[in-house]
Amino acid sequence: MADLYLIPPVPWWVAASIGALAAFLLVLQYRALRERLGPRRSALLTLLRGLVYGLLVFFLLGPAWVERRVVKLRRPLALLIDSSQSMALPADAPGTPPKSRLDAVKDALLPLLERLVRDYDLRLFRFGDGLEPVTPAAVRSLGARDGRTRLVEALEAAAKEVPAQSGILVFSDGIANGERAAADGAPPLPLPVFSVTVGRPQAYTDLRIAEVRAPEFGFRGREIKLDVIVEAYGLRGRKLPLYFNRGRNLVSAQSVDIDADPFEKRISLSFTPKEIGAHHFNVSLPVQPGEQIAHNNRKEFAVDVQRDKIRVLTLSGSPAWNYRFLRMALKQDPLVDLVSFVFLRTPTDSVDVPDSQLSLIPFPIDDIFLEELKNFDVVILDDFSHRAYFNPVYLEKLRDFVRDGGGLAVFGGARAFDSGGYGESALKEVLPVELDGKGTYRGRTSVRAVLTPAGKAHPITRLVADARANEETWSRLPQLTAFNRVQRARGETLLALSGDGSDGQPLLTVGRFGQGRTLALMSDEAWRWNFIAVGNRETPQHHLKFVRQAVRWLAREPSFEQVKILPVAASRPGEKAAITVRVLKDDFTPAAQASVQLRVLGPDGDPLLVPVSPGDSPGDYRGEFTPAREGSYRVEAEAALAGRTLGRDRSAFSVAAGYHESEDGRPRPELLERISRSSRGEHFTIEQWNEKALEKIAARLEGQAPSRIVERRQTRLWSTPWIFSLALVLLAAEWWTRRKWGLV
Amino acid sequence: MRRRDFLRLAWGCLLAAALPRPARASHPRDKRFPFVFAQVRYRGGDWNPHPLCVGPLMEELMLRTSVEASPVRHEVTLADPDLFEYPFLYMAGRYEFEPFTEGEIETLRRFLSYGGFLLVDDALGQRGYGFDKSVRREFQRVFPGNELKRLPSGHAVLRSYYLMRRIGGVRIANPALEGITVGSATPVIYCQNDLGGAWERDQLGKWTNVCTPGGEEQRRDAFHLGINIILYAMTENYKEDLIHVPFIRRRLTR
Repeated sequence: MADLYLIPPVPWWVAASIGALAAFLLVLQYRALRERLGPRRSALLTLLRGLVYGLLVFFLLGPAWVERRVVKLRRPLALLIDSSQSMALPADAPGTPPKSRLDAVKDALLPLLERLVRDYDLRLFRFGDGLEPVTPAAVRSLGARDGRTRLVEALEAAAKEVPAQSGILVFSDGIANGERAAADGAPPLPLPVFSVTVGRPQAYTDLRIAEVRAPEFGFRGREIKLDVIVEAYGLRGRKLPLYFNRGRNLVSAQSVDIDADPFEKRISLSFTPKEIGAHHFNVSLPVQPGEQIAHNNRKEFAVDVQRDKIRVLTLSGSPAWNYRFLRMALKQDPLVDLVSFVFLRTPTDSVDVPDSQLSLIPFPIDDIFLEELKNFDVVILDDFSHRAYFNPVYLEKLRDFVRDGGGLAVFGGARAFDSGGYGESALKEVLPVELDGKGTYRGRTSVRAVLTPAGKAHPITRLVADARANEETWSRLPQLTAFNRVQRARGETLLALSGDGSDGQPLLTVGRFGQGRTLALMSDEAWRWNFIAVGNRETPQHHLKFVRQAVRWLAREPSFEQVKILPVAASRPGEKAAITVRVLKDDFTPAAQASVQLRVLGPDGDPLLVPVSPGDSPGDYRGEFTPAREGSYRVEAEAALAGRTLGRDRSAFSVAAGYHESEDGRPRPELLERISRSSRGEHFTIEQWNEKALEKIAARLEGQAPSRIVERRQTRLWSTPWIFSLALVLLAAEWWTRRKWGLV
Repeated sequence: MRRRDFLRLAWGCLLAAALPRPARASHPRDKRFPFVFAQVRYRGGDWNPHPLCVGPLMEELMLRTSVEASPVRHEVTLADPDLFEYPFLYMAGRYEFEPFTEGEIETLRRFLSYGGFLLVDDALGQRGYGFDKSVRREFQRVFPGNELKRLPSGHAVLRSYYLMRRIGGVRIANPALEGITVGSATPVIYCQNDLGGAWERDQLGKWTNVCTPGGEEQRRDAFHLGINIILYAMTENYKEDLIHVPFIRRRLTR
C-alpha cells in the first residue's frame, strides 16, 4: 500500500511564485505566437510548454510515494536456569518419587524449549556463582554444582545482556545467598521478570542452627552471652535438645519445643570463661529422620577471651613519692585494676589515739598470700621488706606465684634487695639479679639510666618508636638520686645500666622464672622520671609509659610475648594452611636460630607435629598443614633457643567447606514473586509451567511493547526516470512542432 | 600588735639570736629522707610566720608513721630550678603578699597539675583580709574558674591516717578545710586556722602559741591534720580504695 505525499524541498510560497511566473510566461508566449501562427497552433505550443512548466512546479512540491508494510519481530528473551547446589535437593516432600529440583525444571522446560527458541531470540544462561551462557542443547546435561546462588546479581546481569522490550524468564528454587540476598531497596529491574519456582516450602523438612550471635571477644571471668537462632520446617510437635559445647565438653543443654511450622526461636546461652585465649564452641541439634540437610544442625564459632584488666597488687614499705607516682601511672591505665597496700605505720611507731581513731586496716596477709594471690597478674614490691611484717613462708607463696606464670617487679629502696634481706629469702632464686647479702642502698648518688643493647630493643624500654630517638629519650630522663647496688644481673636480660656516679651497675633487669616474669629496678626514685621531667618542661609520659609497658610485659600481654603465632587464614578441607610463628629472643630481637615445635590439633583432638622451616623474615618460622576435614583446629607453638624455652603460644583457625548454598535449602518462592511483581512480570510454580503460561508471557510482553511494527518506505518521484523522460518528450515535441511550423 | 605579742616576739628573737640556729636554712635536699617539708618563700607579706613549726611536726610524723622525713625544712621559691625536687610545698603567711609573676603562676599550675601538692596555711585567719585575700586572688590566676571550695567531711585527707571529725589550729577561724580539686585529686589544701602556729615550739621546747578555744586537744588535732595532709600528699586518695572503705565506715559509725 502506497500513498503520494508532497514533501517540498523549498517553501510553499517559492513554488507558488515560480508557478505564477510560469503562467505569466505562458501568457506572454501565447500572445507572441498567436500573431504568427493563429490561436489553435499557438494554444498547442503553449500547452506543450505549460506541461513542462507544470512538471517543474510539481517537482518543486517534492512529490514522493510512501509505502507502508507491517513487520513481526522475534523478541529477545533471557532464559535463566538456577544450577546451584540447592537445586540438587528433592523437589518435593519425602516419599514422592525422588526428583531433584533441577530435574523437575528440565522435565518442565525441555518440551517447550523448542517453541521458545522458535518464538524468541532466546539467550540461555545458567546461574549460581555467576551468570554463564549455555546452549539449548546443554540444558539436558546441566548439573547443580554452584556453591552459591547470586540470584539478584544474576537477574541484574541478565537485564544488561538483552535489549529493551525483552524479558527475563528464570527457573529457580528462589534461594538467594549472594552478597545481595534480597532485592529490597534496589530499583526494580527494567525488564519484566517471569519466574518459575521449583520446590514447595510446605514439603521441606529440615532442622537447622540458622545463626549464632556471639561476641568476637570476651573477658576472662565475665559471662559471655550469645543467642542461637533455631529454625525447623516440617517438624512440628517434636521436642529436641540443643547442645552447647566447648570443644568436646558439654557446657549446657536446653530443650527446644518445636510448636509451629515453620518454626523459629531465639535461644540465649551463656558461658563464663576462666582462661585467656581462643575458645572454640559449637551448638548442635540431633539430626531428625527425613531432614534434607543434616550438616546445618551444627554450627561452630570462636570467642577470643581476653583479660579484662591486669590485676596488680603493690606492697609499699612506706608512703613515698615513688608510690605516689607509681599509683598515678597505674590508676590512669584503664587496663589495670590496682590493689595497693602502703605500710603507713611500722610496729615501732606509736600512736597517740586508740586504733579506732585510725584509718589503718590490718594487712590481710593470709587472705592475700594464701587465697587471693592467684587472682593477681602482677605483684610489685615497692621498697618493701618482708622482715617486719610476715613469715618467710609467704615469700615462698610469692615464688610459686611467679613460677606458675605471675609477674613480679621489685623496686629498690632502703628495704629492697639485699637491704631488705631478700638474699636469704625464697625470692633469691626468682629475682633477675644476684643477691649475696652485701648489696647496699646508696641514698646520695646520681645515676642516669643507660640502655644496654638489649634495652634498646626491649618493649619495656621502648618509650618512643624510633630506636635512635628512644636512646636519646632515655639519655634525657632525669637522674635518679638513690640506687641499690647488687652483685650483678643474673645472666638475664639487662636493660639499663646506671651511668654517671656508679660505674655501670645493673639498674633495670628483667628475667623469667618458671612460667612467670620478673623485673628489678634498682632504685626507688623512678618518680623523678615523671615529676622532675615535668619541672624540666618535658613530658611525664615517659615514666607513665615505662610503668605501663613493664606491667603489660610482666602480665604477659599478647603483644609482649616472645613466641607468637601469626593469624592463620581460614581454609577449606584439602587446602594448605600456612602457619607462621614469630620468635623473639629475650631482648626482643628476632631469634633466627630457634628450635620451634609446631603442633596442630584437629577437631578430634589428635595432635600432628608440623615441620617448620625459616620464613621470609628473620625470626619467622613457617609450617604448612593440610586439613582433611571441616572443624576447628588448634595450633600450639613452642620455641627454644640454646636449650632454653623462649615461650609458647596457642592459636586456632577454622576449616569450613563453604556451606553458603546448602546451609538453608528451603525453597523461597516469595523473593521471586516479589521481583516478578515489581518488574511487571509474572510468577508461576513449576506445576503451572505449560503452553498457557507461555502464552501469558507472550501476551504480557505484547501488552508492554507490541512485536508487530509498520515499516514505511519513501520514494521521491524526481528520482524516477520516466517522469524525467516525459519532460524531455514534451520539450522534444514542442521543438519538433516549432520546427515543422517554421519557427526554428 | 598587742603588748603581749610584742614581748613574746622580742623574747623569741633574743632566744633565737642567742641559741644555735635551728635547721631552717635552705640547703640541698637530704637524699636519705624520702619526705622533705619545703616551704615557699614569696615576695611581700610575711612568708615565715612560724619559723620553728616544722621540727615538731616532723618529729610527730616520724614518731607516729612510717614516713622517713627530713627533720629540717627546705625553703624554696616558685622560681627555683629545683622546685620540682619537692613535691610537697607549704605556704604560710599573715599579710597580703605581692602577686606572683606570670612565670610563677605557670610553674605553680604545672606543679599542681602533674602530681605536686601545696598546703596553704593562713596564720591570720581573717577571711577576705591579709593573706587570705592574696591567696584567693592568686589561685584564681593559677586555676581560673576552679576556685577554693570547702572540702566535704568525708574527704580522703581527713581519713588518710587519723579518722578526723574536726580540724585543729591556733584558732578555729574556719572549721572546714578548703581545697582545689583537679580530676580525682586535691592538690591544694587551704587551712585558715594557723596550723603552723599550733605546731610551733620555741627553742626551749615550749609551745609558742596557745590554741583557743580547745587548748591542747585542738593542738593535737592540728598535728593530726598535718600528718594526714602529708600522707594524703604522698598517697593521694589511697584511703578511698575499695579495700579500705568498709573498715573506715565501720570505725566511723561506732
